Amino acid sequence: MRGICFCITNYMEQEKKLTEQESLNLIAMMINKAKDSYHDTGISAIMWGALIAICSLVRLSEIQFDYRLPFDIYLLTLVAIIPQIFISIKEKKEKKVRSYDDIYLDYIWLGFGIGIFLLIHITNNVFGEWGSWANEYKNLTGKQASFTFGEFVSPLFLLLYGMPTFITGAACKFKPMLWGGIFCWICCIITVYTTIKIDLLLTALSAISAWFIPGVLMEIEYRKYKKEQAVLNV
Amino acid sequence: MFKDLDPILHSQLRLAVMSLLISVKEAEFTFLKEKTNATAGNLSVQIQKLKDAGYIDVIKQFKDNYPQTICKITSTGIKAFEDYVRNLQVYLTQPK
Repeated sequence: MRGICFCITNYMEQEKKLTEQESLNLIAMMINKAKDSYHDTGISAIMWGALIAICSLVRLSEIQFDYRLPFDIYLLTLVAIIPQIFISIKEKKEKKVRSYDDIYLDYIWLGFGIGIFLLIHITNNVFGEWGSWANEYKNLTGKQASFTFGEFVSPLFLLLYGMPTFITGAACKFKPMLWGGIFCWICCIITVYTTIKIDLLLTALSAISAWFIPGVLMEIEYRKYKKEQAVLNV
Repeated sequence: MFKDLDPILHSQLRLAVMSLLISVKEAEFTFLKEKTNATAGNLSVQIQKLKDAGYIDVIKQFKDNYPQTICKITSTGIKAFEDYVRNLQVYLTQPK
């Protein structure tokens, strides 16, 4: 490795005239070097994966053990936007290079965030409307409505979770995230036919497989790269 | 018919810089220095030549009270690089 670096150094310093083949080799080498320099930290993915999994499991425990927290556990996702902003600013500052993929992926994830909040707004409104109809139906017929709107919310969220995850995995050639996105869509199909408890469990599993595990792998990879860079710079 | 290779690009360090910049939207000076293993002085000179040719844009600013130099390829630079690669391919495919 050191030998190769030494050769490149000499190559650059001497400014000798290149042959056509050497020029093409140099172009290919530099393009590959640029490609190898994209290393993202996995902190955001770890944070969101853990958070969504915790929120889903807490909601599941509320239903299972019949208790209620004094606040909606999903409000934590709003609170998490604050550290996310700080993480994004810090990561942007540390980056020495900005690729075209970075820009597209930033927009995709921003669009995903907006989409999630719009979906929350829509489902809350529909849920409110549906709740009053269901009560009216119960008062008139004395029977519970067989359709429970809450059971159809998870597939919608899982559908959205899968999209940016799958695209990021494909764009960055990062298979754990690609498979994580596919796993979200598989769970999306399953949750159409399952009860709300299974839905929440599958949502937690999706968050862990789509973001938490890939995030941990990205962070390990990033730290390894940083260590290598530190050794090279000594 | 062989076309002359662009003399601005037909130099190791300048070609290396352009090859790095063609693959990214923008890069810091330190990134280019790290990837090319060139000295800061030599790299500065070559970057200035590319800038004078209109192939790259150089933005100088401050980051955390330290000077920061960001380089990005221009549309003229992209065209010149594409022409250079095309001409190289012609050289390599034509029988000598």
